[in-house]
Amino acid sequence: MTPTKFLLTALMSATLASPALTNPVRDGQLAGLAAQAKKEDAGFAGFSAERGRALYQARFATGKAETPSCTTCHGTDPKGKGQTKAGKEIGPMAVSQNPARYTDPAELEKWFPRNCNQVLGRECTAREKGDFLTFMISQ
Amino acid sequence: MESPRTPLDSAAPTLTVWDLPVRLFHWLLVGAVATAMITGWLAPQWWMGAHLWSGYQVLALIGFRLIWGFWGSEYSRFASFAYGPGETFAHLRALVFLKSRHAIGHSPAGAAMIWALALLLAGLVASGLVMAGGEEKQGPLAGIASYQWGMAAKALHGPLALMLLGLIAGHVLGVLIESRLVRENLVLAMITGKKRLTLSPPENIRSARPLPTLLALAVMAVLGAGSLAALARLPPTGIYELAANPVYAKECGACHHAFHPSLLPASSWQGVMAGLADHFGEDASLPKAQAEAIAVWLIANAAERWDTEAANRFRTLDPAQPLRITATPYWTRKHRDLPKARFAQKAVGGPANCNACHRDAATGLYADQEIRLPKETNL
Ligand code: HEC
Ligand code: HEC
Ligand code: HEC
Repeated sequence: MTPTKFLLTALMSATLASPALTNPVRDGQLAGLAAQAKKEDAGFAGFSAERGRALYQARFATGKAETPSCTTCHGTDPKGKGQTKAGKEIGPMAVSQNPARYTDPAELEKWFPRNCNQVLGRECTAREKGDFLTFMISQ
Repeated sequence: MESPRTPLDSAAPTLTVWDLPVRLFHWLLVGAVATAMITGWLAPQWWMGAHLWSGYQVLALIGFRLIWGFWGSEYSRFASFAYGPGETFAHLRALVFLKSRHAIGHSPAGAAMIWALALLLAGLVASGLVMAGGEEKQGPLAGIASYQWGMAAKALHGPLALMLLGLIAGHVLGVLIESRLVRENLVLAMITGKKRLTLSPPENIRSARPLPTLLALAVMAVLGAGSLAALARLPPTGIYELAANPVYAKECGACHHAFHPSLLPASSWQGVMAGLADHFGEDASLPKAQAEAIAVWLIANAAERWDTEAANRFRTLDPAQPLRITATPYWTRKHRDLPKARFAQKAVGGPANCNACHRDAATGLYADQEIRLPKETNL
């Protein structure tokens, strides 16, 4: 697959997943992540909402003990509300509940490193980020 | 206390000694002082509004009574109970031997009590106004009184209130004893206004003069309202209009309530901003430029700049945890009585969400009246 062709497929798959939930910025982010994932792993063949779900629900032992999972703060149901460690409410992560999610690149650049460090004890890979977004867009 | 009345007694002529305004004054004052004591000592802090209002009521009542002391009816007039020390002392000595000294209006001992009560009440209102102005940045003296003044007034207000309580006990006891000695229900007299006439009243009994009273009241109201309005125009000391800082509100309000910068001294903010990567166990790192801009703003508006109670108090840190508001001695003392479950309940989430219980958290004022605990659900 050429990079352009690959980008198109990635865009398509994101778009097809839930046609009503497209957003140029979000789609651009996904495309960028896909390009990077391809660079990180030549065998990369597109994002998967299922892997995103697994990442979201997995419990890691490599990060901070109080925050073993994304669900610790965001709640088990991506359509529901979460709560920070300090007790503040976090709005739903599912795009169906909040279409403005993942439409500000600065937010993604800020929160992915913070939260991945917190939970996994390392930065997330481009594939993990893309899987996560794909899962949230499908929700 | 009901004194036994002989048929002769009940046949004795009565005289309206306490005119209606004085009776109203007396019982309204009782109500206002009782409210002040209950809200000051017993009620939770968010009743402070009612406490302040009872203070203003006492002030207004004292103002009225000053005027009525000159133009009221005979026994309301100061002149009718301005006894010298000699007479007062003689009466007090007679009381020790349970001997009465019948007076148509106030007796000398009763008059001494009234002056003492009036002075104490004036002292309480004055110290209360300075406290409200200096400590809480509320009321007419907010533009004049510094926090230091407020603290000094606070040192007076409590002891004065205790003295008032003592005097009130003495006043009630005195009335009961005197009622027995002169065989007349003096409490009832303050309700009906009537006392038995056992002494012949002086010939030149003066009646109330409504016109000068109304004029004086009008002048007092205008002067009072005018000076209050003028004082209210002064900006409160040590409080500033803080322009909204959307970047701060967003970045530092994502995980908890965005604290008002006056709640910690500059050194603490510096420490917080220097350690965002490990921020109380969390990664709160920000792009360098953004973090620097927030730090500059926080330090420029830190506690040192403000004269609110919170800013003054939170300047005293816990040396072991100098970055925490919730570790300061004042914070821990003020929230000691709240059960842990109160903070854990869903509507609060944790101690860092000050705004869950303090409706004015965004202003940094933390006024007593603005405290509202969320309902105890989801504990
Ligand atoms: C310690 C609590 C916490 C944990 C654990 C956590 N997050 Fe978050 N996350 C937050 C907060 C707080 C926000 C910002 C609040 C908001 O956007 O409503 C946020 C925002 C995000 C955003 C940006 C949302 C947007 O609108 O752009 C992403 C993406 C994200 N989190 C992903 C993750 C992932 C992936 C994990 C697990 C690896 C995770 N989070 C675990 C607290 C957490
Ligand atoms: C990623 C989430 C997160 C972000 C973003 C964040 N904080 Fe915090 N902050 C916390 C947590 C968690 C605590 C500890 C709360 C507790 O112990 O109840 C805390 C505590 C604090 C405290 C101490 C509160 C106390 O207990 O007195 C201060 C001060 C503070 N944060 C300031 C800031 C400032 C300033 C910013 C913006 C630069 C900021 N925080 C951004 C999560 C965050
Ligand atoms: C669970 C509710 C709750 C939370 C959360 C909370 N407070 Fe309070 N706070 C109270 C109550 C109740 C009082 C009154 C205590 C008393 O009766 O003395 C109080 C009193 C205070 C006072 C003293 C007010 C005065 O004039 O006497 C200050 C200042 C204050 N809180 C600051 C804070 C700050 C800052 C935070 C956040 C870091 C905070 N509070 C979080 C409930 C709360």
